[in-house]
Amino acid sequence: MVPSVSDDHDRPATPSRGAVGATRRGFLKAAGGGAAATAVAAPYVITSTALGNATTPPASDRIVMGGIGIGNMGGGDQGAFLSRPDVQYVAVCDVRQKWREQGKDKADAKNGNKDCAAYVDFRELLARDDIDAVHIATPDHWHAIMTIAACRSGKDVYLQKPETLTLREGPLMVAAARRYGRVVSGGSQRVLGDYRPIVDPCWAGEVGTIRSVHVALGAPSQPCYLPAQPTPPDIDWDLWLGPAPWEPYNSGRCDGNFGTGGNSWRSYVDYSGGSLTDWGAHHLGGAIFAADLRELQPVKATFHPEKNVTLTYPNGVELHYNRPPGDVPAGHAKVSHSAITIIGDGRPREAKPVPEYRDGEGNIYGDFIACVKTRGRPFRDIELAANSMTAPHLIGISLRLERSLQWDRAAQQFVNDAEANRLCDRARREPWIL
Amino acid sequence: MAFDSALLDAAFTALKAFDWGADAAAFKPIDEATIAAPGDAALRGDLEKRLTAVLGAGPSRAAKEYACRKLSMIGTAGAVPALAALLPDKDHSHMARFALERIGGPEAADALRRGLDGVAGDLRIGMISSLGARRDAASLPALTKLLAGDEKVAVAAAEALGMLATAEADAALAAAKLTDTKPSGAVAAAVVDARLACADAALAAGRRADARKIYESVGAAVGDAPKTHRDRAVRIAARRGLFATADETVASS
Repeated sequence: MVPSVSDDHDRPATPSRGAVGATRRGFLKAAGGGAAATAVAAPYVITSTALGNATTPPASDRIVMGGIGIGNMGGGDQGAFLSRPDVQYVAVCDVRQKWREQGKDKADAKNGNKDCAAYVDFRELLARDDIDAVHIATPDHWHAIMTIAACRSGKDVYLQKPETLTLREGPLMVAAARRYGRVVSGGSQRVLGDYRPIVDPCWAGEVGTIRSVHVALGAPSQPCYLPAQPTPPDIDWDLWLGPAPWEPYNSGRCDGNFGTGGNSWRSYVDYSGGSLTDWGAHHLGGAIFAADLRELQPVKATFHPEKNVTLTYPNGVELHYNRPPGDVPAGHAKVSHSAITIIGDGRPREAKPVPEYRDGEGNIYGDFIACVKTRGRPFRDIELAANSMTAPHLIGISLRLERSLQWDRAAQQFVNDAEANRLCDRARREPWIL
Repeated sequence: MAFDSALLDAAFTALKAFDWGADAAAFKPIDEATIAAPGDAALRGDLEKRLTAVLGAGPSRAAKEYACRKLSMIGTAGAVPALAALLPDKDHSHMARFALERIGGPEAADALRRGLDGVAGDLRIGMISSLGARRDAASLPALTKLLAGDEKVAVAAAEALGMLATAEADAALAAAKLTDTKPSGAVAAAVVDARLACADAALAAGRRADARKIYESVGAAVGDAPKTHRDRAVRIAARRGLFATADETVASS
């Protein structure tokens, strides 16, 4: 196993090019006379934004970013990165014209020019060597292919949740991130932000040793049989589908609203895991974080006749999907918030510091950028995200097969279960390969 | 649970007439039978026979796609001929692979391998990717041959060899006479990525010396002063590997 070395020895701990401390600004300052100065001085024009000012770092110290998938959520991510003075936003990519144009307009307005590039094909954006990092907010079926391609291109990645659509994808994305020394952050801002009423007492040891976690969550995605509609001219439908099976265009199939009830891609099995993974990334992610299970994967999924599932972790903690806790044993402690209830044995334990974002501002975007600069691991590092996403995937397969399963983390397979193993991944539509 | 044959008959009649937009509720007996089939050999055999019949002439693309999805869950070697017949058809090749990629046993892999010769372009790339996803070692000669051909196919062949990640796969990658020899070329890049995957697999398997040779080779090719993000990333990969393999090399020197 290649060691998980977080330092990128080939990249200085600031985003400037070349040797540590050598910025374009520094070079220009140093070229104060002689031939070098002459070669630099004329006809070179230095803009005020390039040099930076009191609130904006010089261009050479900014992280150059582009965005892939600039719809509802991607537009929000773009806004967050655009608002940062340490990011230079230079490119958008979306298969839909309206998102592409909107994304470009937003970046141009912020930058005060018309220079933001707008691509249909993400490979063209990734081929740009001036781009340091990308944010990805496409439908889920594209996440793994794009993230791995970005890593191979030497880009760091901020990837929207749910990070994976299948079990096979997680380890491949982690391998790519580690192999190429990339910072890859998953994108659930809720995991740290929304569940503090349970995170804090759990990490403070007030609940004692955690015994069970209960999460209320929606259903998995379903097949889509929507009828064909004429394909509008402003969407590249073949590229929207990408590795997913070909099916005819229908606005309900590909609408990016946040619904999972049949009127958006989040509802359908070829593009999403449904509410189970979509909200599961948040609620299960939050529960797994509160219970300090992020480094682990479940070993068992027990299917119950009521069509809900219990996951068992190697340390004995049980995570229940849609199984309310019932009466709490005497002496035990219970904390609840939102869709999550956690029960511990009530015997106070030593407190552990809650992992936080590295930007010091409580912002997942800042956390990513801070890690890009320092080459650290973000709060929702892809390995932690992939571990967390194992939970909804195991639940989903258990529900689909209507039986219990045993999971071997080392082999990344179900134990003696050829049928379940068929569902670890799916063939991708040519020419896309994972 | 015994399945009512009449209910399945009705469901399959509906399936054969199905197209996108129609009510899929009629398929519920098939959905339920698919879940029960692995535990009932007779039901499984019956279901497979009915599903493969949908793959013939007549039923729509939507109907065939549904059948392929079900066969991906319960199909056996018995389904392979009907699925293989769809591989050369651009409208059905992917969903045939959707099933073949998941069906265990040599018959499915053989069908994909044989199918390589009958297609070109994207369909060939699809079959290559399925052979890679199956980790089909018997495909090594065929994949090796494809490294020298059309650029997109060669990229896919390199990717698939990287999925195999065996010593033999790496030997094929290292020896490949690429038509696209520029370091920045797509095929050369795919070969590098695949070799790094082979190296990481060798390291994980304890074959440190083999892994080290690959890291050294890849690192030497990208040089000490990489200028692009991509080359820097490759250099990082090589250096991490050399760091990981350093102990044994030092111990044995």
